[in-house]
Amino acid sequence: MAEEITFKCLRCGYEYKGLYDKKVPEERTCPKCGSNSIRPLPQKKEKS
Amino acid sequence: MMDVGRHPNIKLLAYSEVEEVTGYIGNFHIKVRRKARYVDEEACTACEECVKVCPEIRPDEHQLGFATRKAIYIPFAQAVPAAYLINMEDCLGNNPIACGKCAEVCDPKCINFDQQDEFVEFDVGVAITATGMDVYDPTILDEYHYTKYENVITSWEYEILTGPGYVTKGELLRATDRKLPKSIAFIQCVGSRSEKRGNPYCSNICCMNTIKDTLYLKDHHPEMECVVFYMDIRAFGKGYEDLYKRSKARGVKYIRGIPGDVVEDPKTKNLIVTVENTTTGKIERHEFEMVVLSVGVIPRPETEQIQRALTLSKTPDGFLMESHYQLNPIDAPTGGVFLAGCCESPKDIKSSVIQASGAAGRAETLLSAGKVKVEAITSTIIPDLCKSCGICADACPYGSITVDIKAKTPAIVVDAACKGCGTCGAECRFGAITMKHFTDNQILAMIDAMLEEKPEEKICAFACNWCSYAGADLAGLSRMQYPPNSRLIRTMCSGRVDEKFIWHAFKKGAPVVLVSGCHFVDCHYIDANRWTQKRVEKIWNQMERKGIRPERLQLEWCSAAEAVKWTKVMHAVEEIRKAVTKDEIEETKKILSAE
Repeated sequence: MAEEITFKCLRCGYEYKGLYDKKVPEERTCPKCGSNSIRPLPQKKEKS
Repeated sequence: MMDVGRHPNIKLLAYSEVEEVTGYIGNFHIKVRRKARYVDEEACTACEECVKVCPEIRPDEHQLGFATRKAIYIPFAQAVPAAYLINMEDCLGNNPIACGKCAEVCDPKCINFDQQDEFVEFDVGVAITATGMDVYDPTILDEYHYTKYENVITSWEYEILTGPGYVTKGELLRATDRKLPKSIAFIQCVGSRSEKRGNPYCSNICCMNTIKDTLYLKDHHPEMECVVFYMDIRAFGKGYEDLYKRSKARGVKYIRGIPGDVVEDPKTKNLIVTVENTTTGKIERHEFEMVVLSVGVIPRPETEQIQRALTLSKTPDGFLMESHYQLNPIDAPTGGVFLAGCCESPKDIKSSVIQASGAAGRAETLLSAGKVKVEAITSTIIPDLCKSCGICADACPYGSITVDIKAKTPAIVVDAACKGCGTCGAECRFGAITMKHFTDNQILAMIDAMLEEKPEEKICAFACNWCSYAGADLAGLSRMQYPPNSRLIRTMCSGRVDEKFIWHAFKKGAPVVLVSGCHFVDCHYIDANRWTQKRVEKIWNQMERKGIRPERLQLEWCSAAEAVKWTKVMHAVEEIRKAVTKDEIEETKKILSAE
């Protein structure tokens, strides 16, 4: 299931939100600098 | 098909389904279910006496319900073999016993109600997949009211209504008054080229099919008003532009714009089409006696079964994936399997014939050679280290690794099927897979040599053989400048870049590491570079946890033609390298050495 997460470009540092599905890998490109070093930032677990 | 049926060297198994395929190139074992026909196809003379007495009438699926058939029938006029079959569900209905009237009148006594499905097994060296295509169902597109208005039909239904071998004997008739329509509209791209309203891809054949239909109408009914609503006309094949021009010259009107609404006049049953003419920018209304929806092409549902049986891959649109879309468009990723026709992508008859001829040629080349050239760079299992976890088998894009997880026996690599991407070796956690000519020790030695002197000044880059390395090569050949402190290690695929190579480079003082491979669509090993991305994402998280900046590991997809991109990437990576201080490198070395 795709969920909305934050991606961070490890070249220019730009952060943006997008859909992420672990099971469906897709080529990601930074909308600002065009780099493919896009890191899906780990989701912070909510405190119960 | 008749020629196939008669050919002495071709065994045709009609009304059958592939149940299971095992083995590999040159050694496939296939199990086929031959569905019970309840008619002896050898003895049946297709005399039609059985049909005359059969009381069960059903819609004829082949004629899309425009005609009827009996429970005993031949699926379509040109079917090979020309023998009847009984649809037992239609025959029995709610009755437990068949009426038997067909058996009573059958002179050759070829009807057998006790016939059961049979399984046939045989060995083959190669397989060709040609499962064809289906058409898009426009029912969900409310604006066209396809199932509500009888005079709105699909392009497939139009073929049935104009085909000489079908129910109307080639006479185009409106459903509401059984008369020839005086005006007809064709709406293009129904279910195609739309993310939200159907499928995102172009179905390739619809434009030319409509042009052909309009020419047919103008030949037979010159007075008929024909209008085509379109986005773009894609007439790109040999002679196609000429056909398009002929169609326009014959008086067919082409309006650029896809209608947003079709409404029926309750009295005349005519259809009012509302469209924004994008050439004039005006909203227009046109009245027609018939509307034809030019529906797109979709993969057949059976494709999934074949895909599973032959361990093939699918593209996101559901069609079977070829080994490489430019360089190997006929071969399937699985060795010894070839693709022909619309199972691979929507295509017209000419393109299907070309691909089928190519597939037959590829198959014949392999069969006549009787042997397969194995890649020199294949993976090898070290049985003593293998824990039979099965990760290598999951990672292999070619299904060339088999492992019995329950029996805990070491994995086996079929050399004939392995293409040498090395993804299995990189994914194996136990070091149980080595790749000929690209062993761990060889690559680690290259890293050592690269970082032996002044490591803080080096850019450590892993580049895949087919795209990134070739892109770097092109940059060099084109005399493009990129940082001279770049050091490249070539692997066949970025999937071979083991995480231990990256950690080793950082441990040896590398300020920055670049992993580079083909763009997803270009991957020469189907989807091996998806494993690269997954692995790099994992390492980024680990780096952060260890207190190492993830920015120091860069990932880039670069094709063989992207020399400019390669130079830009290397300059950007050089900027990242410059920002890494000696203290930071020493700290990283300390962190990694302490583990």
